[in-house]
Amino acid sequence: MGKRSKDKRDLYYRKAKEQGYRARSAFKLLQLNEQYHFLDDPNLKRVVDLCAAPGSWSQVLSRKLFVDNKSEDDSGKKIIAVDLQPMSPIDNVTCLQADITHPKTFNKILELFGNEKAQFVCSDGAPDVTGLHDLDEYVQQQLIMSALQLTTCILEKGGVFIAKIFRGRDIDLLYSQLGFLFKKIICAKPRSSRGTSLEAFIVCLDYCPPKDWVPKLDLNKSVTEFFEGCNIKEIHNNSIITKWYEEDRDIVDFMTCGSLDAYDSDATYHIDVKDELSNDLLNVSLNPVQMPTNPPYKRALELKRKGKLTRSI
Amino acid sequence: MQELNHVGPSLCVKFHKEFVYAAYGPYLQQYNYKTSELLNQCLIFKENKVHGFDISADGKNVIAYGARSVSILSLESINTSKSLVDREQLVEEWVITGTFSKLGDKVFLLTCYNRVIICDLKCNVIGIKSVPEEKSILYSGSIEVLSEDRVYVNAGTVIGGVIVWDLFCESILHTLQGHEGSIFYVTSSDDGKYIASCSDDRSIILWDMETGEQLSTGWGHTARIWNLKFYDNNTQLISVSEDCTCRTWAIETLNSDEINLVQKNIYEVHQIKNVWGLDVCNSEMIAVTAGNDGRIKLVDLLQATRYGNENELFSLGDISSSANVEFSKDELIKGFEWFSFGAVVHTSSGQLVTYNRQSFSWSPIALSENMESYSISGGIQSKNTVVFSNNKNDIILIRFNSKGQLIKLAKHTLEYLAKVTNTMIKDIDDDTFLITLESPNPKDPFVCLIIQNDTYDVNAEHRFSKPSNFVSASLELYGNYLLVGARYSSLGIFDLDDNHRTPVVIRKISAGDTTTSVKFIEKQLNIPIFSITNRDGFYDFISINFDIITNDNKNFYDIIHQNKVAKGFLEGAYFNDKNEYIVYGFKSTLFYIFNETNSYELASQVCGGSHRQWKLCDDGLNKILLYNKGSNIYFRRISQNFTPEVLRNGLHGREIRDISILKEKTYKNGYLFCTASEDTTVRLSHFNNLNGTITNYWLERQHVSGLQRCKFINDEFMVTCSAREELFLWHINNESLDRAYIAVRQSLPTSTENPDLRIMDFDVKFLESKKDFILTSVYSDSVIKVWYYNFASNSFILLMEGKYQTCCIFNVSLEILNNKLLLIITPTDGHVIVYNITNCIPFEVVPGNDYLRDNKLEIVLSLLPNHDVKFPVHQSSIKTICTFVDKTDNSVTLYTGGDDNGLAIVKLNVENSTDKIVGKVVCFEKKAAASTITSVNLFNNNTKLLTASVDQIVRIWDVCGDKLVQEQRKYTTTADTGVADIVRLDNGSDIALIGGVGLSIWKL
Ligand SMILES: C[S@@+](CC[C@H](N)C(=O)[O-])C[C@H]1O[C@@H](n2cnc3c(N)ncnc32)[C@H](O)[C@@H]1O
Repeated sequence: MGKRSKDKRDLYYRKAKEQGYRARSAFKLLQLNEQYHFLDDPNLKRVVDLCAAPGSWSQVLSRKLFVDNKSEDDSGKKIIAVDLQPMSPIDNVTCLQADITHPKTFNKILELFGNEKAQFVCSDGAPDVTGLHDLDEYVQQQLIMSALQLTTCILEKGGVFIAKIFRGRDIDLLYSQLGFLFKKIICAKPRSSRGTSLEAFIVCLDYCPPKDWVPKLDLNKSVTEFFEGCNIKEIHNNSIITKWYEEDRDIVDFMTCGSLDAYDSDATYHIDVKDELSNDLLNVSLNPVQMPTNPPYKRALELKRKGKLTRSI
Repeated sequence: MQELNHVGPSLCVKFHKEFVYAAYGPYLQQYNYKTSELLNQCLIFKENKVHGFDISADGKNVIAYGARSVSILSLESINTSKSLVDREQLVEEWVITGTFSKLGDKVFLLTCYNRVIICDLKCNVIGIKSVPEEKSILYSGSIEVLSEDRVYVNAGTVIGGVIVWDLFCESILHTLQGHEGSIFYVTSSDDGKYIASCSDDRSIILWDMETGEQLSTGWGHTARIWNLKFYDNNTQLISVSEDCTCRTWAIETLNSDEINLVQKNIYEVHQIKNVWGLDVCNSEMIAVTAGNDGRIKLVDLLQATRYGNENELFSLGDISSSANVEFSKDELIKGFEWFSFGAVVHTSSGQLVTYNRQSFSWSPIALSENMESYSISGGIQSKNTVVFSNNKNDIILIRFNSKGQLIKLAKHTLEYLAKVTNTMIKDIDDDTFLITLESPNPKDPFVCLIIQNDTYDVNAEHRFSKPSNFVSASLELYGNYLLVGARYSSLGIFDLDDNHRTPVVIRKISAGDTTTSVKFIEKQLNIPIFSITNRDGFYDFISINFDIITNDNKNFYDIIHQNKVAKGFLEGAYFNDKNEYIVYGFKSTLFYIFNETNSYELASQVCGGSHRQWKLCDDGLNKILLYNKGSNIYFRRISQNFTPEVLRNGLHGREIRDISILKEKTYKNGYLFCTASEDTTVRLSHFNNLNGTITNYWLERQHVSGLQRCKFINDEFMVTCSAREELFLWHINNESLDRAYIAVRQSLPTSTENPDLRIMDFDVKFLESKKDFILTSVYSDSVIKVWYYNFASNSFILLMEGKYQTCCIFNVSLEILNNKLLLIITPTDGHVIVYNITNCIPFEVVPGNDYLRDNKLEIVLSLLPNHDVKFPVHQSSIKTICTFVDKTDNSVTLYTGGDDNGLAIVKLNVENSTDKIVGKVVCFEKKAAASTITSVNLFNNNTKLLTASVDQIVRIWDVCGDKLVQEQRKYTTTADTGVADIVRLDNGSDIALIGGVGLSIWKL
């Protein structure tokens, strides 16, 4: 299977290329927005894009805030993008290379915002998948909890939070926890997200924190400690270790986003279905949209190319 | 619902005394590693897997942890109890690792936010330790207990390297920066000298624990590394990686201040990338590894050095001085044989020397013949006989006594042959053996001599007319039939009772090259079965009915099994005493022996490759490989396992995508079943329905892409499909009790030469004959095809083709309703679409029956008609369906499970007045699971429905009266739960097989 067949199957990939997005993920955000219109709000001024590399969501945000919703005075608008990986610059986006689970990262973001609140926080974070399903899902949920931690410090009441989830065995625990902070929670799957993957997005609308709880960032507290006190995560029996108990779980509504005539990310498309696709779309060059700028295993790849890493001694 | 057996990820393994303890799913297992016997299996956690455990220094207690669960238990109770789940405790954060204090009266638990919880043996928290401002998430970590008050924590972060901190001072000692990316494992040597870490960058770094200095970086692994362990007094390091290998590294001190990590050995241990568990038994020098494939593997770290005599090498110079013989300057070793006394070696100048294995010395053999023109054709171990031949048609037979002295020599000449190019030998019985001789001249006969052993006289001489295009290569004798394996994947059959009978040749048994071995395996209803290997890596099992054998009748043989080894050339195969199929051959310069049944390597030896002289001989219970390089001869002893090779066999390297039980017929106290996996293989296995024990038979590698479906369509056929438009029809042979056989009978034609479509699903409807059927296949580009399979001609003929829209179709079903043949599909758009294809196929629907009738109508290609009904059921993809046809009320009930967590009952009827098909959703459960529903299965006379979903909950629903009432739910440890199949036993109970990352067998 060469590049061509990957392209053939993945129309979103071609479309991303055509529209200048760095990754096909852009369409996930766009399709979520098609359903919930959170990016079409003219009052949207400050947004945070967590786990943003290579940056297609930031591109969408930048276009929405500074092109589509352009106003007389855009000076109050701000987009902050954070990722472990370095990102090439995007117009009107402030990039930060940092670990979102590190409390110091949030200090930096808060500083950048001054005293102002954001209207929208998103996180498309995905951990390094190890193949240990429970660990991968846990780390994924921790990325969400970290994102949520920041969200509680920075999001305006009524604001929107969306995050990538993997619908694994403990997803109903997360649903139940989020229920304490937002009025409406939906599990949404954009059509551009492959049906064969467990990926979906949690859309949390109308931020409404518990009245008696004031979130406070403390560099000495981990995410789990941060949420202690908020009833989202009650410390059971007041101890960090306690006898096994059945935790609260909740199933939320499921919503497919993107119209039915949107491309099906599971289907194989033929180059000859010209009537359905613009010619341009099929003829865009076939190089990847954007390679990771600096993968950790770059050195290993170089050594391998030189024949230095082998199976025999 | 009760679990009978589970095969799946094992995350941690440890040696302790004569045992290996293994974290296996939510269990801890105790094995005797010398016998591989599973001594006990104890359930530790309700739902979580045991990720790791530590045994206290006094061997009394165990701390087990996994996800957020922990449990402190006595080792004794783990050895004797079946379940200790009531002791499970829950921690607020994920536990990365847990260790006992030096005195063993406390445990330290490192959580994923870099906190250490100190608690007593009852899990009462004594203290919580951490370092300021360092609470980002960890992927790995270890706790090094050097003394009661010197405890260090190595925390492997995502971006900030390894943070080494002092537990009691709560202060950072070092921040080890040098890796790129997340740290996946970090460990210390138990003398507190070194730290070793690995990360996403594929390297291993050795650090000085004292100074935090980076001592050396080990490059070698081609993928991520998952586990590291110091061993052999901290002079060695062992690693396991996503590249499926386990590597050993020496920590070499070059001079006092330069320490290097040097790669020493590579072992292929698992069939998968996800290898998690690793431990070494220092006293025995064996390692144990475990991973997602469910296999617990022992690795002999002294595989070729344990006994010291594994490798012997003699140059002609060595032999010359030991035997006191002269060799010429350019003398080479030409041939060799192995006997109970030792070796016989023949050199290029025709000299013969023997090696005595007891005295390790060489002796010359005085010869009355000049043997320069000869070469060794073979030997018979039981008769201490070597046969030589030359191209002048001479044969020399030599017998040795038990001390290796020559006691008999005889010579025969066959003048009528132009030249002899191949001579082969085969033992017959105590008194006789046979020799075959082949000349390159096609007009010359193929000769077989029967030799009287005591006299070496020729008892009988058979001259057969030689088949065209026939070059012999391997030999087997069955009764009066000589079976000769030949080039171009052929097999010649010669009747020793009738020299005039024209030999019969079976050609093109597999796609390959030379038939390298033929071996009688067993008889099935009096018909013998032979195993045949081909140099190109194929192996076949072929049944031959000698009673009806002729050259124009192809029905006398049947290829009942065919497969190809993962890589390399194949030279031979045999079954071991555990009924496992062992194959051997070459992978470039490497000779290998491989357990094909359970797919792991037994031994390998770098020897230069198959074009060299080589010979694999029995040596008592062991094997010995003889090979030469120029004027050197090598003996490589391959001893029977010092320990068992595995403690437990796994199933697949990746997710199981489909399971099918052959329900029509029980097989040995259970059933045969097939599993189709993302790892591109199909496994045929057996489960025992009392205890759930699984026996593997075959791992089929015909597919080149990840599997989608497998299904037994009746008691003799199975169909599998996958990406790259692969769909195979398999034939099952389950007449033998030792094992079942399975072979691809036909594959579905593809739409292009380089297909890239996925075949998502298929269904069949049989014709009255029960051999012919129609098959529908659905594709990722929305195409639907219907085929006719004709058994007699073994061909698929396309009957109908069309396209739904552009979206991918996940499921298809063929149902007969009211004399109509319905084709039902469920694509990713969440709709149910029904086509009436009754008039598009050249077969008739038989009223009241579930099969079609062949009225010999003309076969024409039709187009997919417009659909009769289409209606939305789910919001997004319908992942799974099952159907039930109710003849009493003329309806098809469809149960559908969706990506939207929903479960639906859909009814299809034929409207009496209009004869139109109508359909509607009669019941929809919106939140039937917390995640995608991946499997629905009816059972208990279609009154119950079992659903499996990615949330790892198996639910049983009562579906009577078209309602969905959840009756039971139970958590399964099998992650990525994707499939299930159910069989009803004679006693009325139901057994379910549930697959995902692993497989569980449940009694419902
Ligand atoms: C699927 S990508 C995001 C794609 C992005 N939304 C876009 O459209 O281009 C997931 C990202 O999560 C980042 N990530 C994972 N763990 C993180 C962490 N702890 N802190 C910050 N970023 C993280 C990864 O580096 C990766 O770039």
